[in-house]
Amino acid sequence: MAMNPMEQFAIKPLVSAPLFQIAGHPIYFTNQALLMIIVVVASSLFLTLAVKPGRLVPTRGQSMAELSYEFVANMIHSATGEDGLKFFPFVFSIFMFVLCSNFFGLIPGSFTVTSQIAVTFSLACLVLGLVVVTGFIKHGIGFLKLFVPAAPWYLLILLVPIEVISFLTRPVSLSVRLFANMLAGHTMLAVFGGFVVSLGAAGGIFTGLAIAPMLLIIAIMLLELLVAFLQAYVFAILTCIYLNEALHLHDHH
Amino acid sequence: MTAPDPDRLAELGKRLDELQTNRAAGTKGSPPGQSSIAFRFATEMVAALIVGGGLGWGIDWLFGHFGFHTRPVFLILFFVLGAAAGIRNVVHAAAELNAEIARVQKGQRSDEEK
Repeated sequence: MAMNPMEQFAIKPLVSAPLFQIAGHPIYFTNQALLMIIVVVASSLFLTLAVKPGRLVPTRGQSMAELSYEFVANMIHSATGEDGLKFFPFVFSIFMFVLCSNFFGLIPGSFTVTSQIAVTFSLACLVLGLVVVTGFIKHGIGFLKLFVPAAPWYLLILLVPIEVISFLTRPVSLSVRLFANMLAGHTMLAVFGGFVVSLGAAGGIFTGLAIAPMLLIIAIMLLELLVAFLQAYVFAILTCIYLNEALHLHDHH
Repeated sequence: MTAPDPDRLAELGKRLDELQTNRAAGTKGSPPGQSSIAFRFATEMVAALIVGGGLGWGIDWLFGHFGFHTRPVFLILFFVLGAAAGIRNVVHAAAELNAEIARVQKGQRSDEEK
């Protein structure tokens, strides 16, 4: 039985008829759309239901919701200071979406939304769009000073394009980091899963050897749990850092 | 269950606040592992090259649209600029990492002094 470890990332329409059309392109309801809806509904339901009792001594669920709230609030506060807190809803939504997508993707048989570069790149573009809009609202045309380092004018001819390209790099590196981590981890799981199946089917001494990749899968699964959280954290903290630059320009130097 | 005693509550709140400020001042996570650092630098560099090359290609395409055959002048120029931007990104990332490690070590030292 030949298994393709990349097959898990294939986007398939769940309903054969397209939902609607945009400029002649049929739009299908895919497994990706389903998982995104599940992630959004599950995280919203969990957060609202968990804090509903509003007890002084929290239950386990309420404590989880409050911990994630405080975790993000502290992160924004330490990265951007007091005035960054008005971006809390945005950063918290992004963090929870990425975190829940990563975790839901780890359930065997499900689909990892964040392993699609289309999703992560859209998220990163949203972040950068917000940064640019915030910067221009807060500083007006002075926001462009972000691209002008302190240097003599004849060097600026070279440095300004470099700074602009470096700024435009951010959505790419932000999205590639998340997407590549999820892709690599899940491919690894699938490859070792394939080892278990083919060793088990080989018969004789090989059947016994199948336990080795099985144990490895457990270890990788634990690692993937860590990576799932870590990548959500990295995505959120970088969002904060970029927002901080838009809010305070060169203050951090 | 009786109603909570306001004095005890206030005391508990104070103790929680103290714990929180202590924790905030102390260690704030450990520096990331080596492979994730390497991966971060690699993505920064590759992303800058892609963006630089892409921009140059786009500019060439745009000029070609208007009848100026500049290809591949801007592609080459912006690829080089992209490489420079990538190096700048990596240097910045390394500087940030150094600052973070210094902060963590400082936090650990002040923890030991306590």
